[in-house]
Amino acid sequence: MIAVELRKLFRRPRTWATIGVLNALPIVVAVLLAVTDLAPRPGQGPAFLSAVLTNGALFPLAALGIVLPLFLPIAVAVVAGDSVAGEAQAGTLRYLLARPAGRTRLLVGKLVAVLVFVLVTVLIVAAVGFLLGTTLFQAQPLAGTSVSGTTLTAGQLAGRTALAIGYVVVSMCGVAAFALFFSTLTDSPLGATLGALAVLIASSLLLTLDAAAPIAPYLPTRYWLAFVDLFRDPILWRDVSRGLGLQGVYVGVLLAASWANFATKDVKS
Amino acid sequence: MWPGGDPDGFRTVVRMAQGSGAARRWALVTGLVAVLVALPVVIGAWPAPDADRSAAELRAAALSSTDVDFSGYAESAGGLALPATDQLGSVADLFSSRTRMRVWWRGPADNRVDVLTPAGETDVHQDTDGRWTWDFEADRAVRDVSAGGLALPAAGDLLPTTLARRLLSEARPAELSRAGADRVAGRDALALRVVPADAAASVARVDVWVDAGSGLPLQVQVWGKGAGRPAVDTRFLDVALGDPGAAVTAFAPPADARVRAGSGDDVLDEAGRRLSSVSFPGTLAGLPRRTVAGAPPAVGLYGRGVTLLAVVPLPYGVAVDLSRAAAADPDAVRDQLGVRLTAGPLGILLAGDSGVPAYLLTGTVTTDALAQAARALPGLAAA
Repeated sequence: MIAVELRKLFRRPRTWATIGVLNALPIVVAVLLAVTDLAPRPGQGPAFLSAVLTNGALFPLAALGIVLPLFLPIAVAVVAGDSVAGEAQAGTLRYLLARPAGRTRLLVGKLVAVLVFVLVTVLIVAAVGFLLGTTLFQAQPLAGTSVSGTTLTAGQLAGRTALAIGYVVVSMCGVAAFALFFSTLTDSPLGATLGALAVLIASSLLLTLDAAAPIAPYLPTRYWLAFVDLFRDPILWRDVSRGLGLQGVYVGVLLAASWANFATKDVKS
Repeated sequence: MWPGGDPDGFRTVVRMAQGSGAARRWALVTGLVAVLVALPVVIGAWPAPDADRSAAELRAAALSSTDVDFSGYAESAGGLALPATDQLGSVADLFSSRTRMRVWWRGPADNRVDVLTPAGETDVHQDTDGRWTWDFEADRAVRDVSAGGLALPAAGDLLPTTLARRLLSEARPAELSRAGADRVAGRDALALRVVPADAAASVARVDVWVDAGSGLPLQVQVWGKGAGRPAVDTRFLDVALGDPGAAVTAFAPPADARVRAGSGDDVLDEAGRRLSSVSFPGTLAGLPRRTVAGAPPAVGLYGRGVTLLAVVPLPYGVAVDLSRAAAADPDAVRDQLGVRLTAGPLGILLAGDSGVPAYLLTGTVTTDALAQAARALPGLAAA
C-alpha cells in the first residue's frame, strides 16, 4: 500500500514542480546575497542568514530557515490535503477502497507517503543549499562555530545538520496530519489544504500575542524554530524534545480523528 | 433474509450499526483528547509538600547557596514598560519583555549565563579575572576585566538566584513571612514573602520560592502596590544540581571572531564626568542615604532592600532632552513640581521649576514619596 502511494506521488509532475518552486526562493536569496554582499543585520531576517557570508557551509540551514515558516508548510498542506479528497474528487476513491487493504491502512499509507515527500523535499533543499553555499560563498567545510562560540568539527557540524533536517521533517508531521484529517472531511482538496493553512496561520498569529502565552506550548508551530537549539553548545534539548512530543500528539490525535471519520464514511465517488 | 422481508428496515439497522460504530470511535478520540488536555492541568494542580521551616531559616539558606553548583534554564517576564532610549535600550528590554536564559554555575567566580534569542545568543562567561561576553549575531567576543562594583543591569541579574539574593540580603526579619509551598522546575519549593516596611515603598511584596533541598532560589515575583500581575516574574523551568564541569563555563574566542577589550559602562562613566556635585541631605522621604561602590559620587542613593531611590542632578542639555521625551509620553503627569511617570512600581520624577528640570528622581517609591523627596532637595525647597 505504502509503495503504491509513493510511486503514485513521485510519478506526478506536480510533486516535482512543488519541490522546484520550494528551491527557487533560497536560490534567489543566495544569488542576491552573493551579488550584493549585503547580509541581513544580525538578529534580522531568517536564522543563520547573517552568518552565511562568512561561512557558506551554513547555507543549507539558512535555506531551511527560509522555507520553514511558509513555503514548506504550504507544500506539505497541498500534498496532504490532496491525498484523500483528491481521490474523491477524481472519482478514484471507491476503486482504492475496493482493494482488500482496508481504510485504516489506506490512511496510514497516505500519511507515510506525505512524510516521505517532506523528507525528500527537505533533503533536496539542504543539498541545493549546500551546493549554493559552497560555490557562491567562502566555505569553511572543515569546521564551524556553534551559536555559543565553541568550535565544531566537520563531523559534529554534519551530525547536527542531519539532526536539524530530521527535526524539520518531524515538525511538518502536524501540518500533514491536519491536512489529511481535513482531506477525509471534504471532497475538495483545496478546502483541505486551506483548512490546514488556516490552522497554521492562526497558530503563528497567536504565538505573537502575550495574552496567548498560557496556550502557546500547545500550538502546532510553537517549537518549529527550535532546530536552532541544536547548534547551541551544549545542545538545548528542552524545546526540541517538546517539539517532537507535540508533533507526536498532534499526529496521534488527528490520525485517530481521521480514522474515526473515514472508517465508516459513505464513499460515493 | 431479514424477518418480514423488509429491505428498507434492514438498511436502517445497518446504518444505525455503522452510526453507533462511528459514535464509539468519536467517543474514543474525544476521550483521548480530554485526557491529553487534562494531563498538564492535573500535573500543575498537584499539591507540593510544605516543610516546617521558618522564614529566617529560608532566607539564610538562600543567601548561603552561592556555592551550590547547578545548571538550569530560566525565563523571566518583565511587566515594566520603561521608556526606550538609545543608551539604555537593552536595560529597558530586560524589564519589559520575556528573557530566556541558560545558566551553568560553579560559584560566583566561575559561571556562565546565556541569553537566548530565536536565532542566536549572548553569553557571559565569568571567571576569576573578569568576564567574556560572546555575541553570536555580531560575531564578537568582548573581554572585561572590571573589578565588580556598580554596573548596569544585565540579564544575569534577572536569574532567580541572583535577584532573590539581592532582594533578600537587606530584608529585616520583621519583613519576612512564609507563604506556603509550590512546585517550581519540578522541585519542591518553599515560599518566602518580603513585605517592605518603609512607608515610601511602592513594592507591595516580593515572593521568593526556595528549593527545599539545596536552598537555591527557584522563582522570584515582585508585585507593585495595587498591581494585578507581577512587575517582574523570573523562574527556573529546569534545574539540575551538581557540577556542570569546567569545560562548559570556560571560553576561548573563535578564531575568526572579532575580539576587543571592554570599555566598561559608558553610561555610568559619562554620568560620573558630566554631573555636577550637589550636597544631598542625609535622608529623603524617610529613607537614609547609602553609598554604593562604583556609583558616580554626584548621584544620591537612598533606601534599603527593595525600596530604593536615586537622585541625579541634571546638566542643562540632558534636562531639556529628558523633559521633551517625558512630555511626549501620554501617561506623564505634570504639576508644579515637574513631570511624573510610573512604570509598575518604578516611579520617575523630573523635578524643577521654570520648565527645565534640575533633578531626576527615580526608584521603587510611591509618587508621594518622590514629591516629598523633591521638596527637600537643595534649590527646590521653595517649590
